[in-house]
Amino acid sequence: MKHPWLNRLLSVHGLLFLFFVYAPIIIVVVYSFNSHPVNMMVWKDFTFDWYLSIFGQPTELNEQTLYVESTDQLLAAVKNSLLVAGTTTTFSTLVGTAMALAVYRYYFRLKPFYQGLLFMPMVMPDIVLGIALLVFFVNFSIKLGLMSIIIGHCTFLISYVFIVVSARLAGMDNTLEEASADLGAGPWITFKRVTLPLILPGVVGGALLAFIISMDDLVITYFIAGVDSTTLPVFIYGMLRRGVKPEINAIATLMLVFSFLIASLGLYFRKRS
Amino acid sequence: MASKRDTRRLIALLTPGTLFLGIFFLGPLAVMVIFSFLTPGLYGGVEWNFYHWNYGRILGWADGDWEEFDPVYAQIFFRSVRLAFTNVLITLLICYPAALWVSGLSVRWRTFVVFIITLPFFVSLVVRLFCWVLILRPSGFLNTTLLGLGVISEPIDIIFTETAVLIGMAYILLPFMFLPLYASIEKLDYSLLEASSDLGANPFQTFLRVTLPSTLPGIAAGAVLVFIPSLGNFIVPDLLGGAKVLMIGNLVEQQFLSARNWPFGSALSVMIMLVMFLAIVIYLRRIGRSEIVR
Repeated sequence: MKHPWLNRLLSVHGLLFLFFVYAPIIIVVVYSFNSHPVNMMVWKDFTFDWYLSIFGQPTELNEQTLYVESTDQLLAAVKNSLLVAGTTTTFSTLVGTAMALAVYRYYFRLKPFYQGLLFMPMVMPDIVLGIALLVFFVNFSIKLGLMSIIIGHCTFLISYVFIVVSARLAGMDNTLEEASADLGAGPWITFKRVTLPLILPGVVGGALLAFIISMDDLVITYFIAGVDSTTLPVFIYGMLRRGVKPEINAIATLMLVFSFLIASLGLYFRKRS
Repeated sequence: MASKRDTRRLIALLTPGTLFLGIFFLGPLAVMVIFSFLTPGLYGGVEWNFYHWNYGRILGWADGDWEEFDPVYAQIFFRSVRLAFTNVLITLLICYPAALWVSGLSVRWRTFVVFIITLPFFVSLVVRLFCWVLILRPSGFLNTTLLGLGVISEPIDIIFTETAVLIGMAYILLPFMFLPLYASIEKLDYSLLEASSDLGANPFQTFLRVTLPSTLPGIAAGAVLVFIPSLGNFIVPDLLGGAKVLMIGNLVEQQFLSARNWPFGSALSVMIMLVMFLAIVIYLRRIGRSEIVR
């Protein structure tokens, strides 16, 4: 290019952009190892104590500076989150994939309707869907709890799986399926031997995305969780609302590591396909 | 093509999703719209009478009382729209040059940089916002560092201001602007840019006349994707805005969890939904038109 100074300006901006994206995260990770008991932001010593304390282990922190909520509550929230994410991922992957196959492998008059229907949950603001579900569940006396959270998550996760699998189907070669049928394979064999292997990366990608979004969902869960079934994001949000405590640093760091692992797993599957 | 067996298979594939979304997606939205036209009960709950003053209350005339005009809700509504627009502008100004930068990198670097830019997007929203609470609060990282360096002599109040809310919202919604922008900039025809500069246009003219118009679809998509979640957001204003920067999302939350005026909360929620539809309709219209122009 003819204007090196312009390119240099862009590079500087790019690096600042990356700095803006990563600096806050790095700060939290670094200060999760800070042993200063009063001001979290004044560096004192390196310590693992906050990590130990969230797991209920004995630490050197004196009683007064320990803000441990309840390890049991935290672990229960993690368990709920995993249970909800596991169930919703399975259900929405099955239903979303089936709908993608129907909409992109068959011609029928209601196709635009289905495309619209599956687009809507993705753009619906969380808070609208959250309170709509709350009003619905309460009005029809459906108990708020894990079941209502699972139903709530599925309403929008089906769409995410649908979009990811559709993208895969759109780039796929129809002739392979036709060849399989011409060679005498029945529809089930064709699906199992040809279609499924071809769309599998899309299905896995959609499932991973659904899992991450379900694990992370705060707003919708917040409204429909009921009293005694809390997920991890709702639990942390509650902690944050009551005040910032050093343990949240440690919990946040662990969640960061977990999210990065899942995201890298997703990238690995995409590279392989 | 459409044999009977095909039809049967199609129905088998569609039925579970149709039933589920019909009952648990369209159903709740319909119930919410109905609720927004009911009379609020005295002690929470609703009475099944038609009542349209829930919407009047948003405009400032609660319960149809023309004497007591109080535009507080309308003000919150407009503040939300204003902040959402500002956020679109901020993310656009941050992401556009960044996307230009990434698309100028070599292919290997490009994939890598896009990956590390989108990576934090997979991190829990609460965690990402917590990072900013930690930085911006009075005894937080920013104040501690600036005081330590002697740049300021007294802690600056940044948390619980509109600035803090805008920083938080821009931070969590960056990828929604970056990715569509990047997708449209990457598709840019570089021979057009060269032609423009060969014909004597300076970089700014090339940008205004060639780059900007041909990436307009990306800008529009990013704008819609950022605007919609900004508008109804209540987590960011709750954690970073406090009581001073109430947005429509906080209002909805209050109506449902503390004030227990469900019909009014539903009406506010319907308003958010209508603005969302409006944004999408404008978007589809613009995209439709730019397609025709080409």
